Amino acid sequence: MKIIEKRAGPDSIARIRKIVGEDRIRTSQADLYVYGFDAGMHRAIPDAVVRPANAGQISEILKLANERDFAVIPRGAGTALCGHNTPVAGGIILDLQSMNRIKEISPGDLLCVVEPGVVCDNLNEELKTCRFFIPGPASSEAATLGGMVATNASGDKALKYGATRDYVLGMEVVMPTGEIVRYGTRTLKNASGYQMEKLFVGMEGTLGVITEITLKMAPLPEKTAACTAAFRELVDAGQAVADIIAVPLFPAQLEIMSEICVRAVNKATGLGLPECGGFLLIACDGHPEAVKDEIRKVREICEKNKAFFMDYTEDPKRIAELWKGRKQMLSALSSLKPEFVTVMLADDMAVPISKVPDAVKGFLEIQDKYDIYIPPYGHAGDGNLHTKVLLDPENKEHWLQAEKAVKEIYDLVLKLGGTVTGEHGVAISKAEYFRKERADAIPFMRAIKRTLDPKNILNPYKIFDWEDTFLHLLRYPVEYAEADRLLSPDEVRK
Amino acid sequence: MKSKYADLEKLKSEMLTCTMCGFCKNVCPVFLDVGWDTGSPRGRMTLAYGLITGELEPDGDLVNRIFQCTQCRDCARRCPSSVKCPDVVLSARREMIHRGQAVESQKTVAKNIRTTGNIFAELEREFPEEHGATPLFIGCQHLSRTNSTKKNIALLKKLGVSPRIVREVCCGFPLELMGFEEEHEKQVERLKETFSVNEAPILTFCPGCKVHLEKIFEKEARHVLQEINDRLTPDKIAKPLNTKVTYHDPCDLSRGAKIVKEPREILSKLGGTLIEMKFAKDTSRCCGGGGSLLAWDGELSDRLAVNRMQEALATGADMIVTACPTCEQTLRKAGRNVADKMGTKPLPVYHILDLVFRAIK
Repeated sequence: MKIIEKRAGPDSIARIRKIVGEDRIRTSQADLYVYGFDAGMHRAIPDAVVRPANAGQISEILKLANERDFAVIPRGAGTALCGHNTPVAGGIILDLQSMNRIKEISPGDLLCVVEPGVVCDNLNEELKTCRFFIPGPASSEAATLGGMVATNASGDKALKYGATRDYVLGMEVVMPTGEIVRYGTRTLKNASGYQMEKLFVGMEGTLGVITEITLKMAPLPEKTAACTAAFRELVDAGQAVADIIAVPLFPAQLEIMSEICVRAVNKATGLGLPECGGFLLIACDGHPEAVKDEIRKVREICEKNKAFFMDYTEDPKRIAELWKGRKQMLSALSSLKPEFVTVMLADDMAVPISKVPDAVKGFLEIQDKYDIYIPPYGHAGDGNLHTKVLLDPENKEHWLQAEKAVKEIYDLVLKLGGTVTGEHGVAISKAEYFRKERADAIPFMRAIKRTLDPKNILNPYKIFDWEDTFLHLLRYPVEYAEADRLLSPDEVRK
Repeated sequence: MKSKYADLEKLKSEMLTCTMCGFCKNVCPVFLDVGWDTGSPRGRMTLAYGLITGELEPDGDLVNRIFQCTQCRDCARRCPSSVKCPDVVLSARREMIHRGQAVESQKTVAKNIRTTGNIFAELEREFPEEHGATPLFIGCQHLSRTNSTKKNIALLKKLGVSPRIVREVCCGFPLELMGFEEEHEKQVERLKETFSVNEAPILTFCPGCKVHLEKIFEKEARHVLQEINDRLTPDKIAKPLNTKVTYHDPCDLSRGAKIVKEPREILSKLGGTLIEMKFAKDTSRCCGGGGSLLAWDGELSDRLAVNRMQEALATGADMIVTACPTCEQTLRKAGRNVADKMGTKPLPVYHILDLVFRAIK
């Protein structure tokens, strides 16, 4: 794959310095190196890191980028998982964390207005005082709202409460060519033309820089109860999930974990979950009577699907502990075995809910076939499944085995009618399989990008424009000398 | 290829285990103040990784980031992968010091300890030897606040503790925190020559000394608050506190030694009404005085102290109480800084030992 560098030279950097002021730009090797990394597998070095104070400064920077042809990569907390923040062609990182004001909370209008750098949990802490919330991803204590919108992030509450997309009413965006534009409204409904505000949801920083977001709020439920169920076989847990949904029942959260995941969570948190082949963690919320009824039905279904252990709690402290354990899964897996780490491979596929049992069964078969750890877990209630590959990141063979396994996982997911990414996005890591999934739509997605960003300034070479495998620009020390390019695409295909 | 940073290389698995989830960022007092990812625990881990891979050189900016850490260990508490980020920072510091990156203020502290055995070079600061059963380690900070410490010792005696006091030298903790590896090892030898331990647990005034002595002597060291809480009964209180207090947990005491219950019980026995700050007990935010940050970047340390003071003020308490002489000092200065800006009176800062002394018969 040929990447044409879009670097910001010394003149451009000097101009940016004038726009934002000395305190808001960094070019030291330490800053450039650190901002080359995010929570994904990839990394590259930018030419400068800039922390703009407002939309006006961003507008000036983007106009300059068009004039001088350098890349601009917007970034929130750097918790993206697929290489979204990786400056593959060089250019500048726009760190939006300092634009972090909660500008308005209007319970009467059911909305709040925030700057992109507000951390999700910090917003929810404020919203809690008026009994509202915005459902966030597992990374909500670090992730920013701007990043959540740009990746259409979602988490364990998506089944009942939806994804970030469902909360966006409007936004202010600095377009790639520098215009500051307002999209959407302050109303819960609008039929006024194209729903452009939704276009920027999941655009991964390629179509604009979000500088303000108007979000709908969800009411905090009156009561929450949690039930856990352990099964000898993961596939039985998967079947219980499909049966619960088919009732129909919409639990607030419905999580599945495989054997290794249960062990990892127990080791990391001391939660003491029962050792089992498959585990379900289910929360129901709403009116107390409705919660009671839902939990009863859920338990009956788990029993019917051969659950050998079930537990139930209304204690908010225990519920919080259970979910904290679940939210730490990624990191818990990373520290499960001293010689292995978690890498973000095949990490968030989604399948139609009824296909969850087939998917988990297939994942375990693929794991056995390649003799590597691919522990499945996920928000099974909405069909969103995670696997994380545990490998020795310095072992080239492990990467090769993982690559073969990942290919089979994605083939299976697409065969089941699923998507390669339910909540993390595409960027670099999933581009190869995304191209298979969305082959017919890509020309039109690309046409939108070319129209709005004719000079290809914003976060270039991502999503459909990453035309290679994921084994590039890895942040792991797979032979330091060739860390930027582990394998050629041909080698991988062999 | 072997890295030229052999010490740091040993911690490579920590750097690779880090998933970069960023949960450490919002608990790090330095990141919350400076705002750049480079100033976060995750950023420091990344810099350490860049050193061992040979991609980074230890220039001024990188070294600054390595030393801009208070070693409060809140990142380690929060890390879901149990990554030992503070240990990586300490290792990186050792590498930097080996390469002659120490600044004058750090060199002065190291020289003071080397030549006088005391961080402040206060040779005259010593207490009369005593020959009781409990080995009491006073520590440099408490040695330098002579009047208070005299009262603190009297307090222990009143409560039935029979201390053994010798002419002591610094435990070496500041040297370890700054990364002076060889000097630290020598200081530990000196300490062992002057401070012998017996079967009784060591008693310390300073949270840092407690944590460090326990590690050096591989035996239990008790902080005085544990001893006082065991011995303080309601009948011993003559003048109850009767006021609203908030308590600042010193990092080495709360996250280091897991002592959070004892100071709260003591304050309750004294008759204080405790109002907790937003971040308390094991989530307590550092006052900026930890990890030798004071010696590296006094301005940053001051700002962190002001941030913590703002939290204390938000409780509406009449005073802030702590159990570490460094926290007491940084918070008192922060109180004055805030008061000067607001045109108000500073929030009084007390060491809990001084309050106990005043309250008991």
